[in-house]
Amino acid sequence: MSIPNGGLITETNRQYYAGAQQFQASSTSSVGQTFTSTFDTNLTFSSSDNASNGYNLNNFKIFTSVDAITWAELIPSAVIASTTGTSNTVSAINQKNVTVAAANTDVLVGMTILKADGSFVGIVASIAAGNQTFTCISNLAVAVANLDVLTFRFAQPYSELNNIVTINAKLPASIFVKIQLNEDTLWDSNGSYSYTRLDDVIDNFLIAYVGAGKLIPSIKRSDVIFHAKRGLQEFSYDTLKSIRSQELTVPLSLTLTMPQDYVNYTRFSWVDQMGVQHTIYPANELTLRPYATPTQADDGSIVQDSNNSNTELTSQITGAWNANNPRSLSGAFLNDYNVADLYWQNYYNNALGQRYGLNPVTSQRNGWFVVDDRRGQFGFSSDLKEKLITLEYVSDGNAYDLDARIPKMAEEALYAHIIYSILSTSIGVQEYVVQRFKKERSAKLRNAKIRLSNIKLDEIVQVFRNQSKWIKY
Amino acid sequence: MAINVNTVYQTVLLILNKEQRGYMTPLEFNKIGGQVQLEIFEKYAEDMNQQLRVPQIDLDYSDRQLNVDEKISIFKDIDTATYTTNGFQIPLQYSGSSSASQQFTIANPGLQYTLTGDTASLLTTGGVASVFLNNVQLSNNDFSISGSILTLNSQPPAGQVLIINIYPKQFYRLGTVIYSAGALPIQELERVGGSQLYHLLSSNLTKPTTTYPIYTYKNNYLNVYPVSIKSGISVNYLRKPIQPIWAFTGTNQYVFSPTASNNFELHSSEQTEVILKILLYAGVVIRDPEIVQIAASQIQQQEMNQKS
Repeated sequence: MSIPNGGLITETNRQYYAGAQQFQASSTSSVGQTFTSTFDTNLTFSSSDNASNGYNLNNFKIFTSVDAITWAELIPSAVIASTTGTSNTVSAINQKNVTVAAANTDVLVGMTILKADGSFVGIVASIAAGNQTFTCISNLAVAVANLDVLTFRFAQPYSELNNIVTINAKLPASIFVKIQLNEDTLWDSNGSYSYTRLDDVIDNFLIAYVGAGKLIPSIKRSDVIFHAKRGLQEFSYDTLKSIRSQELTVPLSLTLTMPQDYVNYTRFSWVDQMGVQHTIYPANELTLRPYATPTQADDGSIVQDSNNSNTELTSQITGAWNANNPRSLSGAFLNDYNVADLYWQNYYNNALGQRYGLNPVTSQRNGWFVVDDRRGQFGFSSDLKEKLITLEYVSDGNAYDLDARIPKMAEEALYAHIIYSILSTSIGVQEYVVQRFKKERSAKLRNAKIRLSNIKLDEIVQVFRNQSKWIKY
Repeated sequence: MAINVNTVYQTVLLILNKEQRGYMTPLEFNKIGGQVQLEIFEKYAEDMNQQLRVPQIDLDYSDRQLNVDEKISIFKDIDTATYTTNGFQIPLQYSGSSSASQQFTIANPGLQYTLTGDTASLLTTGGVASVFLNNVQLSNNDFSISGSILTLNSQPPAGQVLIINIYPKQFYRLGTVIYSAGALPIQELERVGGSQLYHLLSSNLTKPTTTYPIYTYKNNYLNVYPVSIKSGISVNYLRKPIQPIWAFTGTNQYVFSPTASNNFELHSSEQTEVILKILLYAGVVIRDPEIVQIAASQIQQQEMNQKS
C-alpha cells in the first residue's frame, strides 16, 4: 500500500521514509512552474539563496535531475538557474544596458548579473531582440569592461507559499524536480501516525458532537479550541508520555536555566561513562534558593534604594550549598562506585562494610538539585560540577505547533473531556447528563492512562521472573 | 424551478374576478408580488431554525429540513471578498444599477453568443440571467454562461430571437466565510462580536491563527483576524430574489410580454402560497374581507400542515 487510498495515511512511502516528493516538469521548457507539496508537514520557506541566513530557516530543499538518479540542488549557482556570457562592450555605471558577445537565450528577466569577482552589476528588466543586450532595472552598480565574464543567475531560484513551490528558474523540458525535507523535519514527521493533531480533534468534535438534535446544538469554535487546549495541557501533566528531555553539562556556576517550554520536571539524572542514568534527587528539605534576599540594616529592618525598592544581597544559603561536600550529607565512602559496571573491581571492594542506620533520604551519592523559581534556574550540588546530566520534564502540549497533537491512545479521552467541559458549563443541561459525561471522561482518561503506561505482557513477565530468584540471607 | 409570473397573475385574476369582486392591475400585482416573494423568502431562515429543533423523518421528500434547504438553495451563492483598507468587502453589493438586456436575431445559428456592453459587465460582476428564445424562457439547464459567453445546449433555428436579461445579484444574508491559501486546507472563519474580539485576541489559548481565523462583521466589511490574512477570503451568502415583474405591452389592454417579465424565483412548490398571499393582499387592496378571510385561513392551514 504505497499510495494513499483514502485512509488516514496521506503520504506515500517515499514521502514518509525518505522525506521526498518527486515531480516531472512540463514537457516544454518554461519558467514559473509550480509544484504542490502534499507532505503532512507544511513547508517552511525563507530564502532559496544558500548564501543567505534565511536559507537555514527552510525545512526543505529543491533538487533537479534529468534522470531521477543523480540530483543537483537548486541554488542560485545551479546549472539550470544560471548562465554566463562575455561582455563585448564597455558599460558605464550611468548606463542600464549590458551586452554579451553571443546570443544567450538562457538569460531571463529577473536574473541578477554578477561579475567574475562576484560584484553585483544589476537585475535584468528586459531583453532586447537577439538575446544579446539586457537592460537592467536601474543603472549598473559597477562598470562592465569589454571581455568581462558575466554570470546571470536567479538570486532566488525558487519560492514557496502555502505549500506551493514556484520555480523561478527556467526548467528544461520534462526534468525531474524533487522536494526534499530536511532531516530534523523528517524526524518530526516520523512516528506521527501515533498522534492525532489537535486541529483534527477540534474539527472532528464539531462534526460529530455538535449540531441539531445532539446534546450540544451549537457551540462557538473558540470554546471548543479552549477546552481542547486545556484538556491537552491537563493530560500532559499526568496522562501523556513525558517525551521532553535535554542532555546538558552542569557548568562551574552549578546552575542551568529551565527549558523554554518547562512546566515540571520528571527526573534529573547524571550519566556515567556507560551512558547509564543515575537519578539526582531534589534537595527539598536540605536547602532552598530563597526567592528574595533583601538587605537588612543592623536592626533587622529591610533597606530600600532611591527608587523605593528593596535592595538585595547575594544569597548566603546558595553560596554555602554550592561550597559544601555532599558526602558530608550522605555519609558516603571516599571511593565512589558510581559506574553501573558490575565487573568493575572497586564495586565489590566498596560494597563491603556498609554503614547502617543512615537516613535513606540523604543516603545517596548521585547528587542534589534545587529549583530556583526566582531566577527560573536549577541549582546542583558541587559533586555534579561539569558532569553530564539529563533533564526529563513535562510541557503542556501547547508550546509549539508540533506539540499540538494527542496520542491516539488518548484521543477518545480528549473528546470526553471536551464534551464534559462544555456540558458542565452550559445552562439548561440536566445534572444527570453532566454527571454521565463526568463519569465517561473519568473512565476514558483512566483507560488512556492504562494504555499509555505501555504494560506489555512479555515485559511484565520478565519482571515477575525475579520472584523465582533464590535470595540468600 | 421558478414560478411563472403569468400563471400566478392569471390565477389571482381568476379568483378575484370569479364573483366580480374586483381587478388587480399589473402595477399592483408587481408590487404585491415582490412583497409576497420577500415575505416567503425571509421566512425560510425561521422555518429552518424551527425544523432544526424538531426530530425529522429520514424519508425521501418528507424531511422538512431538507425541503426548506432546497427552497433556500436557489438563492445560495459563493463569491470572493475583496480586500480593502477597511477590511474584506462582502461581494456584490447592489449599487442600484438596473438590469441589462441583449438581443440576438439568429442569422447564423450557433451554440455560443458573446455578450457585450452593460450585459457583459453586469455578468462579470455577477448577475442572474434569464434567457428567452422566441419569447419562451429557457430553463437553467438549457444554457450556461462563462465570463461573457452564453452557450446554449442545443442550436436554435435561424431567424429566432434570443434575448438575455441580466439582473444584478443583491447580497442578502451572510453565511459561512472561508479562507483558502495555496495548498493549505480550507478553513472556516468564526464570526465573533466586538465584545468577544478583544478577549480572543489577548487570550493565549484561543487567539486567532491562520488555522482558526475569526472575523467581525460591520458595515458590509469583514475584519479578519489574524490581520496577516489579506486574501483568499470567500463568502457564502444568500442573494435577494429578483423582483417579479408581469410586463405588458399595449395601451388599451394589457398584453403579457414574457421577455420583459421576471418570474418568481421561489421554488415551484411555493406557487400555492404565493397565490394565496397575493390574494390576501389583494383582498386588502379591493377591501374585500371575505377574500382576506379565506386566504388567511388557507395560509394558516398550510402553515399548520407544514410545521406541526
